Amino acid sequence: MSDRNRGFFAKTALVATAVLVFSPPGALAQSTAAPASPSQSTASVSKDRWLHVRVISSDAKGETVRVNVPLELAEKVLPAINKHRLHDGKVRIDDAHVSDVDLRALVEAIRTTKDGEFVTVQSNDCDVRVAKLNNHLIVHVLDKENSKKSEIEIKVPMKVIDALFSAGTDELDLVAALHALSAQGDTELVSVKDHENTVRVWLDSKNFTD
Amino acid sequence: MMLLAKAALGLGGTLILAGAYTMREGLIRIDVDEFRSGGSHVHMWVPAAAIPMAMHFVPSKHMRDASEQAREALPILHAFVKELKKYPDAEFVQIDDNDQHVRMRTHQGKLQIDVDAPDQKVYVLCPLSAIEDITSQLEEHAPGA
Repeated sequence: MSDRNRGFFAKTALVATAVLVFSPPGALAQSTAAPASPSQSTASVSKDRWLHVRVISSDAKGETVRVNVPLELAEKVLPAINKHRLHDGKVRIDDAHVSDVDLRALVEAIRTTKDGEFVTVQSNDCDVRVAKLNNHLIVHVLDKENSKKSEIEIKVPMKVIDALFSAGTDELDLVAALHALSAQGDTELVSVKDHENTVRVWLDSKNFTD
Repeated sequence: MMLLAKAALGLGGTLILAGAYTMREGLIRIDVDEFRSGGSHVHMWVPAAAIPMAMHFVPSKHMRDASEQAREALPILHAFVKELKKYPDAEFVQIDDNDQHVRMRTHQGKLQIDVDAPDQKVYVLCPLSAIEDITSQLEEHAPGA
């Protein structure tokens, strides 16, 4: 190697080393993600089942809350929480007779009975309807008390209710209920609409909220 | 001159390797800005791999204390992070109103928490693997472990 080439090589090596050493660390390892923006989140449809909660408030602040939880994650994390009444993915209820109603017996009765309407109340203040239809328990409440109506609709698959009451006599098995829920198809579970808020709880395979 | 070049190459190479090893898990980034008089402004960029490494040098007594304090949260955090790793890009929480925004999401294996309010801005970016390493080490020091 000639002296000229050697000098050139040495200078090139020095410059290359300096560039590498003083280059931003992020460039070597990762590009730090920019603060989140909705448009950046990667949407995907997978076999995972996601529970979505969306609350849209129409008040002056216009608050919107979106929560997306994979059911499998909830199934795995819940048993790790052992606090107060919650342990091993189950909630302890002191007595299954809540307000002198034997919940377990009630659920068993609903489970074994055929489809039909169990409760229908129609008044000036509100309409209430409790029914079993296509293996779903449906509760519909229409509050007419105020000039601004509010409407609540709850639709729970019977298998989920069965799983919820599958633990001991004084417990609700949340993990079993979530597991049963994950076997269900895309479904809307809760819908609440009033003059201020719209609440929606539903289940699908998307990891984002529309 | 040649000797200097060789020394620079050696030093540079070592620094690059050490840097690459330290940065292999990415960065933990914490930015906190409180917009009030006397409000704190914290901007911290730490190589994620450095934290579990540094924890090896923390005296056992302090690790036990930290583990004891986090006793209830550790199994939850461990299970949570383990599951989160299965969802590399997902938005879990999004709260928006006229002047406040809160986001919690995973992005390329990192947990990202972003709070943007008129009085404060918080941005946390942490690789899930780093959280898992930290919780594992704390669990190892838990009394009775």
